[in-house]
Amino acid sequence: MIADMREAFQTALAGVLGREVDISEPVLLAGGASKEAWAVDADGERLLVRRAAVGVIHRHTLSLVDELAVLEAAYEAGVKVPRPYGYVADLAGREAFVMERLEGETIGRRVVQRPELEAARAALPLQLAEELAKVHAIPAERVPFLTGAAIERMVEELDDVDEPHPAIELGLWWLREHRPPARPPVVSHGDYRIGNVVVDERGLVGLLDWEFAHLDDPARDLSFGLVRAWRFGVDGKRLGGIGDVEPYLARYNELTGFDVRPEELDYWELAGNVAWAIGCLTQAQRHLSGQDRSVELAILGRLGAEVEYEICHLLERAGA
Amino acid sequence: MSDRPTAQELTEAIQEFLGGEILPTVTDHRLRFRLLVAMNALGIVYRELAALPAEDDEGQRALSRRIRAGDVPPGTLDRVKADVEARLLVASPRYLERYG
Repeated sequence: MIADMREAFQTALAGVLGREVDISEPVLLAGGASKEAWAVDADGERLLVRRAAVGVIHRHTLSLVDELAVLEAAYEAGVKVPRPYGYVADLAGREAFVMERLEGETIGRRVVQRPELEAARAALPLQLAEELAKVHAIPAERVPFLTGAAIERMVEELDDVDEPHPAIELGLWWLREHRPPARPPVVSHGDYRIGNVVVDERGLVGLLDWEFAHLDDPARDLSFGLVRAWRFGVDGKRLGGIGDVEPYLARYNELTGFDVRPEELDYWELAGNVAWAIGCLTQAQRHLSGQDRSVELAILGRLGAEVEYEICHLLERAGA
Repeated sequence: MSDRPTAQELTEAIQEFLGGEILPTVTDHRLRFRLLVAMNALGIVYRELAALPAEDDEGQRALSRRIRAGDVPPGTLDRVKADVEARLLVASPRYLERYG
């Protein structure tokens, strides 16, 4: 079986790269919700292969073909992303795509804590603003399959779980009642936060995980990284546990001319928490439904209470 | 409280993890024996939890429906927050220390 897998990679990579290649043993990396990630080198070139996982594809995530197309559009637009190599229709029975494997740290807890990444953390707020401005400038015509993601979509997801969660309902109620004036939608990453970016000693190396890309109010993408869960324990630094929001917002506004106001960040930070609180429940459902049995997924159903507490905290601050 | 996974479901997840992923890797005889004893103990917990009556979450469902309908009288947030805090004291008590 292992030998077969290696052979399958050999064939697939030769096809994508257009030449015979000498490959290393493919290694399945940890993590990845609906897709596998394999690290493999071809003639010494560092590659990462995203391959469909068993089981149902998540609602509202992009297919591999579309995710690759977004990655290609971002790469062409000069966004720091892994270089896309190409699509594989059949890699040992499942579809996949191949991209560059960037070097650096992605584990959120390490990004916010490691002493050797201190200079990186100082540089990251402006770098994150600059890359996001580039993402938001990608012409929507370039990725015509992307759809919008209304707040109502979160309600549908919560209803699918079919558990009572009054704190989440309160958050959704507040979001409905206090919607800021809508901004024209832009191409959005959809999961823009520490943990989904590659970081080295100099700072931002590249943006990963494009499967939640969609069209949305730019302030939403801009605020998702403020969600407390994505500060990885460094709660005092509101921007992803790495720095302050103000320089990040100022740089983003300077580059885009969008003039996003701090109140919009507050609103979308709450929305990000509501989304993640529901995300915890849907992850636990993958375990409970038998789709993907795992203690890690199961416990998220309970740890979602942390996010619900943060929702209450933010609502209190907002004067609900 | 009606949280999912329930204590019984969590116990089941741990049993599957220990039996499916850990047990096959344990070669030390003494450790293997103790792991089997621990799994046996977990089985007792599982069956004991199975014998408990199911929790009633109708109160939470009714409150959720009211909020969804936009019926949010003063004091709702306080009540909801107190509920979440009680759940956190079970699920992740140290988390509350982060709100000084």
